[in-house]
Parts: sequence; C-alpha cells; structure tokens
Amino acid sequence: MGRTRLIFTVSAFAVAALATPLRAETLVVNSYGGPYEAIIRKAIIEPFAQRTGIDVIYDPVGSASQDYAKIKATGGRPGFDVVVMTASQSLQGCKDGVLEKLDANSIPNLAKLSRRLTETAGPCGAVHEVQYMSLLYRTDKLATPPVSWSALASSDLAGRVVLPTFQNTMAIYLVEMFSLMNGGDLVDNLAPGFRAVAVIAKQSIGFEQSSAILESYIKDGTVWAMPFWSGRAQLLVDSGLSVDYVKPKEGTIPLVATLNIPIGAEHKDAARKFIDFFLEKTSQEAWVGGYKVGSARTDIDVPAAVKARQITSDADLNSLHLPNLTTVAERLPKWAEQWERDVVAHAN
Amino acid sequence: MTIIALEMPGKPRVFARGWIRFLGLSPATCLLVFFFALPMGMMIGMSFHNPSSQGVSLLSYSRFFTDGLSLLGFWRTTLMSSLVAISATLLAYPVAYYLARSRGRWRSIVFAIALAPELAGVVLRTYGWLIILEDRGFINDVLLHAGLISSPLPLSKNLFAVVIGLTHVVLPFAILSLTTSIQGIDDNLERAAQILGAPRHAVVWHILLPLSVPGLISSFLLSFTMAASAYATPALLGGASFKVLATMISEQVLFYIDWSFAAVMANALLILMLVISYAGVRFEAGCRQKYQSVAGGMK
Repeated sequence: MGRTRLIFTVSAFAVAALATPLRAETLVVNSYGGPYEAIIRKAIIEPFAQRTGIDVIYDPVGSASQDYAKIKATGGRPGFDVVVMTASQSLQGCKDGVLEKLDANSIPNLAKLSRRLTETAGPCGAVHEVQYMSLLYRTDKLATPPVSWSALASSDLAGRVVLPTFQNTMAIYLVEMFSLMNGGDLVDNLAPGFRAVAVIAKQSIGFEQSSAILESYIKDGTVWAMPFWSGRAQLLVDSGLSVDYVKPKEGTIPLVATLNIPIGAEHKDAARKFIDFFLEKTSQEAWVGGYKVGSARTDIDVPAAVKARQITSDADLNSLHLPNLTTVAERLPKWAEQWERDVVAHAN
Repeated sequence: MTIIALEMPGKPRVFARGWIRFLGLSPATCLLVFFFALPMGMMIGMSFHNPSSQGVSLLSYSRFFTDGLSLLGFWRTTLMSSLVAISATLLAYPVAYYLARSRGRWRSIVFAIALAPELAGVVLRTYGWLIILEDRGFINDVLLHAGLISSPLPLSKNLFAVVIGLTHVVLPFAILSLTTSIQGIDDNLERAAQILGAPRHAVVWHILLPLSVPGLISSFLLSFTMAASAYATPALLGGASFKVLATMISEQVLFYIDWSFAAVMANALLILMLVISYAGVRFEAGCRQKYQSVAGGMK
C-alpha cells in the first residue's frame, strides 16, 4: 500500500512538473455562434492552432455591440484577446482608446488589404471580411425576382416583409439606400429615406433584431422578401431553401467586419499572430469559400460562383456606397429617435 | 382553560454590549453597501455626466423630459406594471385563500401547481407565450381554422402580450405573498360572522378583504416592482413596437453606449418604484388607522 502511494505521489509531481513548461499559450477569441462558429473553427481556428501550437478558446457570447460595450465598460480588459466587430466599432474604439492600434510591422498581412477598406476601418481594425446588404426573397412566392429596393414597398409584398430593428446595422443602411433613391444622401439628408422606410413599415409584419430570427421568417414562408447580409443569404441558398438574393440596381452598402485587439488584452502577441494568420491568402480563401463572404484581399483565388456574387475585387468595392462611418456613429442616437417616431410609429 | 405564564429569570443579556449587537448585521450591511448603495450612488453620479464635455451637466435629464420617447417609455412602464400588478393580485387571491384555509391532500397539489411556473426559466416561458400569441401562433391558428376570424388578431408585440407574459411570471410571488397574509387572519372571525347570519359575500367584503389589505398591498407592490424592472419578457413579447424603460436602458447601454442617459432612465425607474411603494405603504397605514378607529368606536 505504502509503495503504491509513493509511486502515485511521485507520478503526480512528475506530471505537474512537466505540465507547466509544456502548457501551450492560450488565446481567447470572441465572435459569433451558429453557422459562423462552425465555419471559423474549421477554416481558421484549427489550422491556426496546428501551426502555432496556441490553444484557442472560442467565446461565442454576445453581439458585436455587446462586445464593444463590454470592452468600454472594462476599460479595454474584457477577458478576450481578439474580437470580431465592425468597422464602425473599430473607429469608435480607437477614438475611445480601448482598442489596440494595429500595424503592418507586427501583422504583415495588413499591407495586402485593400487600402480603401483599411482606411474605412481605421488603425485599430483589421478587415477580414466584407458582406453587403442584399435583397433576399422567396423564389417560390415571387413570380419575378426583385431588381430594386422599391420592391419592398410594392403591394405584392403586403404583410410579407420584415424589417430589422434599429439596433441591427441593416436598418440605417436601408434608410440610407432609400434616401439616395429619393433625392437625399447617405449622411446629411436622410429624411426621404425615413419617409420611404415608413411606407414599408406599414406593410411589414414588424421588426426583429437578430439575423437568426429574421432568417426564420423567410425560412418558414411568413416573409417573402427582406434585407439580409449577403454571406448569410448565400448560406441559405446553399442549404437548398427556395430563396435567392440580389444586389439591387440602385446599389447597396457593405458591412465591413474587423478583427480587433482590446487595449488591455492579456495575450497580445498571440492575438497579432492570429490576425495575421486570418489575413493570409490561404486563410482568406478558406474563409471566403466557407462563409461565402467577400474579402479585403483582392489577390485571392476563389470559385467563380463566389466571385460572381461577393466582393472580391476593387471593381466590386467601387460599386458599393460607403458612408462616413464616424459621422454615422455620431448621428446614430438622433436617427434612432427619428426611426422610432417616423418608422416604428407607422408600423402595423 | 389553563393559562401558563412563562417568566424570564431576569433582563435578557443577549445583545447587551454596544458594538456586539451590530455584529450580526454587518455581513448584510457590507453586502448592501458595496453591491447596492455604492453602485446606486455611482449610477446617480453618472446621470449628471456629460460625455461630450466630460463635465457635470443636466443634459441627459433635459433630453429625458423633452425627446418624447423617453416619457412615452416611462408611461408605458407605469401602465404595464400597474396592469400586471392588478391582474396578478386578482388572480392570486382565490388561490392564496384556498391555500391558506385548506388542509387536505389537494392543498399540496394546488401549491405545487401554483409554484410550478418557477421551475421553467423566464425566457423559456416567454417564448412559450410567443408561440401561443404570435400572428401564426396557436390561438390565431385555431381561430383562423375555425373560420372565426379572417386575419390574425394582434395578440403579440404589444401591451396585451407583455401583460399576459409578465402576469404569468409574477403570479407565483403574488400567491405566496397573499397566502402568508391570509394565513394571519383568524378564521374564527369568518365563522363568527356566518354564525351571526352574515351571507358569504358580506363576510368577504366586510371582514376578509379589509383584513387582507396588507397582503393585497404587498402583492401589488411586489408584482409592480418585478414587472417594472423586467427585461426579457417586454423585450420578447413587446418587441420594437412596445418599448419600456428596461428595454430602453439596455439599448442605451449596449448599443448607443450612452451610459449617462441610461442612468437617467434607471433613476426614473427607481423613483417610479419608490413612489409607488411609498403610496402603497401610506395607503395601508391609512386603512389600518381607519379600521382601528372603527373598531375603537364599536367598543
């Protein structure tokens, strides 16, 4: 008995002594759940862990705005090292001093990104994907595919449209697009846009914030058309559902997604390695192929089907309307009040 | 009847020494100071913060009273919480009376059924109501299939849905609160009145209800404060069309990152609850005084 105990004790000390030097570096990545999580694990996290030996803890809790609120509330120490947010939050976080500035010396692949998109996200955000607001519709319900955003206001879609809440970026993008179409502009004169979206609200079934719930309405046939991000729209098409999506003739606005490092992150070196890995040509090809989104790298090789529908070139980028995101962020609270008064109040 | 008088051998010495008497209170006091009073003070301070100038200002208060939407949220919260408190108290009273007065096997079953909703989380129960109330939910489906309506009734994303959902959430608490209160009413009073020829409704109206006022008030206040501070149920069943202070605070904190304005809204919610609680306590004291004077006059 005594010998067994001795062997057990020595073994336990040996394991403990060896485990410390062999313990891998850990990186906490905060992003989204659902299909996003499955794809990022396969396309990015697993290959990254294999190559670097860094353990990645994936934290899918919270939306980008909740994550940003957490970063701000903790003074840049939210408990994760890399976070997926948007260009708008990258700019705000840089201004507030809660996000780390990124440069090509420590993240060489930053130099390979489109300059226009890099400037859009500012010095604290590494653009790792680009989607655009598309018009998603049921192919089995609409006789002819819609070609314009105005289709959402047509009587054929009465009671068959759902709108995003103002907390979803698509809401303000929709107002901006309708503003452009009705004599206004992207930032300074949104009144025509609010008026036009109020007309759609009258025939909508209501408002929803999360993409997952918006998606469920079109899946079960309650809704026949709605604005939706192109990447997730493509995933729905690929799932075999009777849906398709278009980039309407008036154009659209992109959603520029970024990787960010909170200023007080514990593992900054590992975070920079992760971002550089994500921006590598092969990683971007895997990500674009997997999540069906566009890339800020224009030198990647992607399937023709993806190239045809996503943002993969400078020409694609130039076809999009890009509002000044700093101004948008500043005016958002005012527009939120206007949305409540002019749009939500007119809904059924 | 034998009366046994219990006499104590002397003056009680349990909490005789000065500071020792406060020792038992210190854990709860520390907890309340650090996790309630201090954050509450910080929140009040934050409401006077001007994010643009980094100074002190009344800007957020001025916005609260002038933008129209915040006051609308405030009135919605008051109306919603009042309706929930009234519905929960009315629904809880008969159940509480049964639980307080019955002794049989059924009492345990009714008690378990009354508390059963608490076994499922609030979000789960709220989603359940969403499935029942939404346009293509259970009720509308049945009515549409039966040919009783031609288009779905607006049962969700409005005040009606939120009141239904929240009443379900707070009902067990109202039942518990009222049961304790009714148990404290001597049932001999009811029997005596009935023996003297009072009909049942007169017993309820002149004896049971007046003596239940403290329980009714505490049930109302508990339900009101729980409803006013609830977030998940108004967010899910009220949606974008029916925003209350709790959901508006969440938006300001998480989406607009305007903590000063969120603090103003939170203060407004706090003041609303304090005013209602104070009014409830005063009302109860008034009722007690009235019945004492009536009882005094009858002597």
